[in-house]
Amino acid sequence: MAEKIRLKNISKHFGAAPRRIAALQGVDLTVQSGEFVTVVGPSGCGKSTLFNIVVGLTPPDEGAELYIDGERQAIDHLLGRVAFMPQRDMLMPWRTVLDNAILAAEIDGVPRTQARRRASAVLGRFGLKGFEHHYPQELSGGMRQRVALMRTFLFERDIMLLDEPFGALDALTRAMMQRWLLEVWSEFKPTVLFITHDIDEAIYLGDRVVVMSARPGRNKMEVDVSIARPRAPSILTAPEFVELKRRLLAAVEDESLKAFASMSRLEATVEDA
Amino acid sequence: MRNQLLKGGMQNAIVLLSIFALWQIVVDGFDVPATYTPSPAVIAQTIWAQPGAFAAAVGTTLLEAILGIAAGTIIGIASGVLFSRVPLLERMFFPYLVASQAVPIIAFGAIVIIWFGNGIASKVFIALYLTFFPVAVNTLRGLRSVNPQQIGLLRTFGASSSTILLKLQFPAALPSIFTAIRLGASLGLVGAIVGEWFGAQVGLGVMLLLSMYNYQMPELWAAIVLTGVAGALLFLVVALLESRLAWWQEEI
Repeated sequence: MAEKIRLKNISKHFGAAPRRIAALQGVDLTVQSGEFVTVVGPSGCGKSTLFNIVVGLTPPDEGAELYIDGERQAIDHLLGRVAFMPQRDMLMPWRTVLDNAILAAEIDGVPRTQARRRASAVLGRFGLKGFEHHYPQELSGGMRQRVALMRTFLFERDIMLLDEPFGALDALTRAMMQRWLLEVWSEFKPTVLFITHDIDEAIYLGDRVVVMSARPGRNKMEVDVSIARPRAPSILTAPEFVELKRRLLAAVEDESLKAFASMSRLEATVEDA
Repeated sequence: MRNQLLKGGMQNAIVLLSIFALWQIVVDGFDVPATYTPSPAVIAQTIWAQPGAFAAAVGTTLLEAILGIAAGTIIGIASGVLFSRVPLLERMFFPYLVASQAVPIIAFGAIVIIWFGNGIASKVFIALYLTFFPVAVNTLRGLRSVNPQQIGLLRTFGASSSTILLKLQFPAALPSIFTAIRLGASLGLVGAIVGEWFGAQVGLGVMLLLSMYNYQMPELWAAIVLTGVAGALLFLVVALLESRLAWWQEEI
């Protein structure tokens, strides 16, 4: 597998001198082409900040290096390079499901009719057949999230950054969405970075799980998930799964305690700023 | 949505008809003289007796109001957009705009007539002046209230700031803009009528004033009722536009 993304020495501080807060401190991370990497860590460890840096919304501190396909990227030219899905679906209430799904492609310059045609072709794949002319406010949370994912897929970038896409869903819907996401992913095989709070989710989805430390965030531990794909939901109780979970839980727990302890010292929170 | 509007309209019409019926019964029953308060039937007869004059009055005043409201809306939206994009302009001019609203336009009434003549231009100007400010303020507020994360998301799609304005901020601001247009529509009608009081040949304002001076109660009441009709028409047009252009309820 070829290297897709390489992050070197990514740091980020917020605020001025006396109240300066280190959100990220020297994050190094390499992701292979077509790999599904999940990122877990305590709240406020800078996971979302890391994503905002990679999508080009937040400039990192001096000295950061970011490579895509082996090429050094200019930090201020990153916007539009990767497909990003934030925690909230951010669908537009005045656009139909279909028109919300093509938003990114449309902004990217794909003519509307062509984008609509392409979107219509994959509606079924995203479980939205028959809902193309509905408005987001008529949909359930799970369906809205699928529209947002469809928007991300139709942007047609080979790298996808998903920031807790299923965080707000109930457990059953979430489990269904996870299975479904793996199916779609194995079909298109983009390189995926996926933030989650949920360790089960991180193991079930990922080829590799990255644990981030409490603030300042850095990658504390990386674990390969060698469970064969396609993964049945029943693997959640398989011994190798449970053993992985035990190790990861211990690491995350450790960091959460640190984060909790430092919470009382820091007044200002840049919680995933 | 459309059905609800229709149903609401029906209910309102029933209430309105009941009020007219009660009015008729009271005036007839207590033998109230028409010089004091005419009955709805007398008012209707008065309008029916000279339809041309009343139609001309309603038409003129409505035209003044509509032109003024439309121009005020367009200029208001344009300045709101301009202020949101060039904060320096906002800091320089916005305080003066607010201050200018402290002086009622009526104080300038005579001057507006001297500047723009006693034709429709002066009334259009007054209606424009009254509509412009709320629309500008609400446009600015609506554009500013968009979630910054949503703007960030569009930027990750490679959107320019004008694309963000067009595809996100402006549509998101529409409900708040329409709130201002609704306010502007009623202010605009008042502006047109009051403008006519300062000097005009035709219009509902002229009719109200003349019938008051001449103590023609049926004519005065006819003008009042028609003013209500004109106001309702304006409101209906704005409500219809709103239900087509800014029908969603959800905040984003």
